[in-house]
Amino acid sequence: MTYFQYVALAYAVFFVVLAWDFAVPRLQVRRQLREVRSRLARASRGAAANVPNDEELSR
Amino acid sequence: MFKGLPGWFHRLGSPAYFDAFAARWSPWCYIASLPLFAFGLWQALAVVPADYQQGDSFRILYIHVPSAWMSLFVFGLMALYSAIALIWRIKLCEILAMACAPIGAAFTLITLLTGSIWGKPMWGTWWDWDPRLTTELILLFLYLGVMGLYGAIDDRRAAARAAGLLSIVGVVLLPVIRYSVVWWNSLHQGQTIRLFGESSMDASMILPLWLMVLATKFWFAGSLLARARADNLRREAGKAWVRERVEKLP
Repeated sequence: MTYFQYVALAYAVFFVVLAWDFAVPRLQVRRQLREVRSRLARASRGAAANVPNDEELSR
Repeated sequence: MFKGLPGWFHRLGSPAYFDAFAARWSPWCYIASLPLFAFGLWQALAVVPADYQQGDSFRILYIHVPSAWMSLFVFGLMALYSAIALIWRIKLCEILAMACAPIGAAFTLITLLTGSIWGKPMWGTWWDWDPRLTTELILLFLYLGVMGLYGAIDDRRAAARAAGLLSIVGVVLLPVIRYSVVWWNSLHQGQTIRLFGESSMDASMILPLWLMVLATKFWFAGSLLARARADNLRREAGKAWVRERVEKLP
């Protein structure tokens, strides 16, 4: 290997690890927000579906 | 000028306020690091002359040394946040301490890998059980230990306290890494760059190093805010302010 190849490899490692460090928290935030959104959607669907059941229980 | 500072610190302790703060400032920290990286790398790769002994391979220094300094700095900061969290029970400090661990681990990994790549043409080997290399490897294991411990306990606050305690104990390693090249005979070169006093590195080679040091600091600030925001959201997922924030999203 030439000196250039060693330098190129080292800088590649640097950028790959920083790219991982940049991407991971973004993906985590996106996943958290998506989970909250789907939970809210489930809750609102559940509330709509529960209306007849409430009537049933009151009878 | 600083009259509102105590109030701002107090507000920052609120998870909702911190989320907005981190979402706003994290991208700016990354953006601030980019021109510094660009100018520093251009200087390091294209402007600075080759070393008279090591040739062009010495250019690895411009990523290796800032990463090594960051690996120590981040661990110290993690221990400081952990100590504050343990003493005053500040939840935000727990979150910040635990957000430091993966970033510090990333910089330690860069240090070890780039050092290994630099070592091959200079020392003729990828790895040696030299005091500096071995202690830096132990630092990586400590970071992984903190991350593992934090992930292994379900109760987030108990997990942060246990992992924080490990980080405080681990601080004892930092001076050992710093002075390993002084205390023992080492294949790794001694101290050539000094914050205070004259460096044994030529002045024409110093500027890109400081640019890269500054760039990694801004990068760290951006990453810390982003990771702390993610953990804060995970802890607060069931709270009303998170629901309100999600409902406002397009």
